[in-house]
Amino acid sequence: MRRPGIRSLAGGAAGIVAGIIGGIALTSVSAASGPTPAVPAIDVAHVPPVLTRPGEPVTLRYAIVCAPRDDGEPCDGSGSVYVRLGQSGQFRRLELARGEDSSKGRYFVGLPSEITSSRDGFSYYATLRDRTSGATMTVPAGGETAPQRSFPLRVATEIALGVPAFGGERMPDERVVAAPWGSDVGEAGLAGSRELGFVGPSSFDIAADGAVTVLDQVNGRVERWSRADVTTTDVKVSGGLADFALEPGGTMDVLEPPSRTSPAPVLRSLRADGTPRWSQRLSDRTWAKLAAGPAGPTVQQQPSEQWLPVAEHGAALGRTAQADRGRPGRPFANGREVLVERVGAGELRLAELAGNAVVRAWRITSATPLGEVQLAEPLGNRLVVVTKTYTDDRSDYVALVLDRTGIAASFAIEPIEWAESAPLARFRLAGSSLYRLGSTRAELLVDRFDLEVSR
Amino acid sequence: MKAFLVAFGIAVLLAGATGAQAYHRFWANCNYDAPTFMTTMTRDAAQDYANAARYEGYQWGGGCWNYDDSDSYPYDAPGDPSAHGEGGDCSGLTFKTWRESTDDWRDGRYYWRALRNVHGPYTSGDFKNGLGAPNHVVAKSTAGAMDAFASSTHIGMVFFRSLYGGDQIVEAKCEACGTNIFYRTYRSDPSYGGVARWGWTG
Repeated sequence: MRRPGIRSLAGGAAGIVAGIIGGIALTSVSAASGPTPAVPAIDVAHVPPVLTRPGEPVTLRYAIVCAPRDDGEPCDGSGSVYVRLGQSGQFRRLELARGEDSSKGRYFVGLPSEITSSRDGFSYYATLRDRTSGATMTVPAGGETAPQRSFPLRVATEIALGVPAFGGERMPDERVVAAPWGSDVGEAGLAGSRELGFVGPSSFDIAADGAVTVLDQVNGRVERWSRADVTTTDVKVSGGLADFALEPGGTMDVLEPPSRTSPAPVLRSLRADGTPRWSQRLSDRTWAKLAAGPAGPTVQQQPSEQWLPVAEHGAALGRTAQADRGRPGRPFANGREVLVERVGAGELRLAELAGNAVVRAWRITSATPLGEVQLAEPLGNRLVVVTKTYTDDRSDYVALVLDRTGIAASFAIEPIEWAESAPLARFRLAGSSLYRLGSTRAELLVDRFDLEVSR
Repeated sequence: MKAFLVAFGIAVLLAGATGAQAYHRFWANCNYDAPTFMTTMTRDAAQDYANAARYEGYQWGGGCWNYDDSDSYPYDAPGDPSAHGEGGDCSGLTFKTWRESTDDWRDGRYYWRALRNVHGPYTSGDFKNGLGAPNHVVAKSTAGAMDAFASSTHIGMVFFRSLYGGDQIVEAKCEACGTNIFYRTYRSDPSYGGVARWGWTG
């Protein structure tokens, strides 16, 4: 064997050094690359007053969020609101003032009474600016094409909820699914640990034939319980806390949350056999709830705080097209929308809208704080609402069947939520029954509550 | 030249292997600089700070990230603080956003830069119980922007309230979730309590 020369040794050493540098660089690049959207230079938060009472003063408040400043001070922002009487016509520009307190949004404008007292309500959008970077953002994203719409609660049915007893919950009429944790057919996937918390199936839906379909994202499948049997279909999903909806015809919609590698939310449309049809990034950064609308899947999104369709008649809509179709309420097959606004600690405003006219409205007040609205859907000439009452250490769901005179039926439902699910995916209305997704330390549950209305 | 190429190829393979990479984990980019004391501390500056940590990943026991809009090590083993990956965990993100002190008896008001590697002394359960001089328990129905909801396993800050009664929560939720803003219903969940920081100046 020939002894290596000084040139070979030097070449080898140089190769090792260059190789280590190259290897580290390559792995760093591969770890950091991918289809990653950037955090926007400016972001906004705003809660629109979609339902206002006569004579109620209206102040629009916005939080403007920018890149952190090196001096630790907040964003130097500004903005304008473009507002008009009613739901069409020219917008009028109002400048936002900068307040001392940012707890409900530092930038604000009080609307003139001639606007807030309009019988047709008012509509508006805002353009916000970071004066340091020059970045701007319009909210809602549809701007003048799909502005925020606010409607007057002129003739609302007033309902005062009593103080809940916590403990008088109704038992379900039937437990339609009881699936032990696991990965076999008939079981449901559980992920997590005692230190990090547990996650179970994140959402579910009910088919027209009454079969229960559960998104078992932990096991990468959907699982379907019918009277006859249990079947599974493999699906490619991220495993995050996704929402789920069945469309007529069997198409499945999975609304994915942001994740470590896809930090923007995505809606996946899947065929009945689980194969992908398309996936579409949402217009906005955050979602609250997915629903199967009359023309396709629609999503309640933030910061727009509107329902934005993500597809129409089977075809995905791009982000701009979603934003341009934003509406304040969830659309239903009868052509109407249902508007929901939780106000303060214990008030809930609801309205059914035909076009841009309020058909029926309810204003519910509660001495006990109200939490999120899980469901608000028409059932014949009534409206079914599921919301939560809570104290700092107790809570109950309250199911209400509302008609023009007030509460036609109501009952409390015990939250059985040992494992986490998607935020507003705990209830589904199918026919005249309410279904609840729950979980215990041992199993996943789907319970049915039949809605019996006596008047 | 031949020796160079052979050595280069072997070194690239070795440097790309997990063992060599572990030596160069994300924390190698972090620092231990002193924080900056601030007289002001506003909720919207806290929104700016937490919002910028979005997309930067999650690391159990961590508190260090850059602003390149990606998690440099997205597949670390969950619950392993020795992974030394990018991002804060839930309580680390809250600690830095709330400008707290590593001494639990101090109010703090310390502006920690993103690459400053600090988690702080509090678990989510500590926050839930209002432990530490800067922290206190609040009624959940009163929690506003950049107050928080904490359980024994997690804490998330209220980015803003929302129309349907839930909240937009900015949080470092888990390794697979990363750090981001999610819609959550912690406010009405009995396993979560309301917690806030004293001393917001606006």
